Amino acid sequence: MNDDSDALDEQLSKARRGERTALTLLVQAHQRSVYSLALRMLGTRDLAEDLTQEVFMQMNGNLRTIESNRHLGFWLRQVTSNRAIDQLRRRARVQMTSLDEETQLFSAEEASDPLLQRHLQALLADLSPPARAVLLLRYQEDLDPVEIARTLEMPLNTVKSHLKRSLQIMREKTAAMQPMRCEGSSYE
Amino acid sequence: MSNDIESQLRAALRPVAPSEEFSQRLAANVASQHSTAHKSRRSGARLHPLAWWFSATLAASLVLAVGVHQHLQQQRLQQSGLEARREVIEALRVTSQKLNLAYEAVKSQSTSLTDEGNSV
Repeated sequence: MNDDSDALDEQLSKARRGERTALTLLVQAHQRSVYSLALRMLGTRDLAEDLTQEVFMQMNGNLRTIESNRHLGFWLRQVTSNRAIDQLRRRARVQMTSLDEETQLFSAEEASDPLLQRHLQALLADLSPPARAVLLLRYQEDLDPVEIARTLEMPLNTVKSHLKRSLQIMREKTAAMQPMRCEGSSYE
Repeated sequence: MSNDIESQLRAALRPVAPSEEFSQRLAANVASQHSTAHKSRRSGARLHPLAWWFSATLAASLVLAVGVHQHLQQQRLQQSGLEARREVIEALRVTSQKLNLAYEAVKSQSTSLTDEGNSV
């Protein structure tokens, strides 16, 4: 992990000097995180791709101010989250995706219950944009509340309360879904 | 299951990869923008001393031109002042001569009248 980070620090220095290959490696190292954040915040693949491209283009102009690969990760998450929240605030509500696209919001590698995944997606889409960003940074990016507060420039207590409230809503609604699933399975 | 919501979320929210096509397009666009920006920064850096020298030369020329203009204007003013002074002195000299002549005329006239009275 440290070796990877050191190697990417070196790539960052090379990218600052104008090496295209180094920049490509940096983009490849961070694109999953940026794209996933954008996709789960905005809900559609097209919007997520546009946002991902905008964020990496913005990164190009800011390479001199970025000190390390770790700082780059922080910067990318911050810009992606803030831009996504701004876009969502401009829209009344996330445009719901087609059924084909829905499954792409969640990890295809995880062969967990597809019904539960769809349910989690619907719950995530119902959250306010800042609450959704907090939840994604916590469970997708594995950041602790202090790091989330720094990334979203939000008070720590607000982050904690978003997490607590969102998890409570998800627990309640997932528990309510259980009997329906049991009933459904009894018909099979 | 509801107690396990955090692990369910963690599992469901693993980062997903964008499509290969988008990934390639993204890398190409970013690299292309990067090299354009880098080239313009480098040419900007090469031009910078030239631009600086050009500005400095232009500023120095302007200061010199303004200085020379002011100096010439001052010289012209000084010359016209000297000319005026000379004219005033000449006028005073001519006036003084005329007054002297008048004084001499009046004086000689009064002397001749006194002489006539004495003879009478």
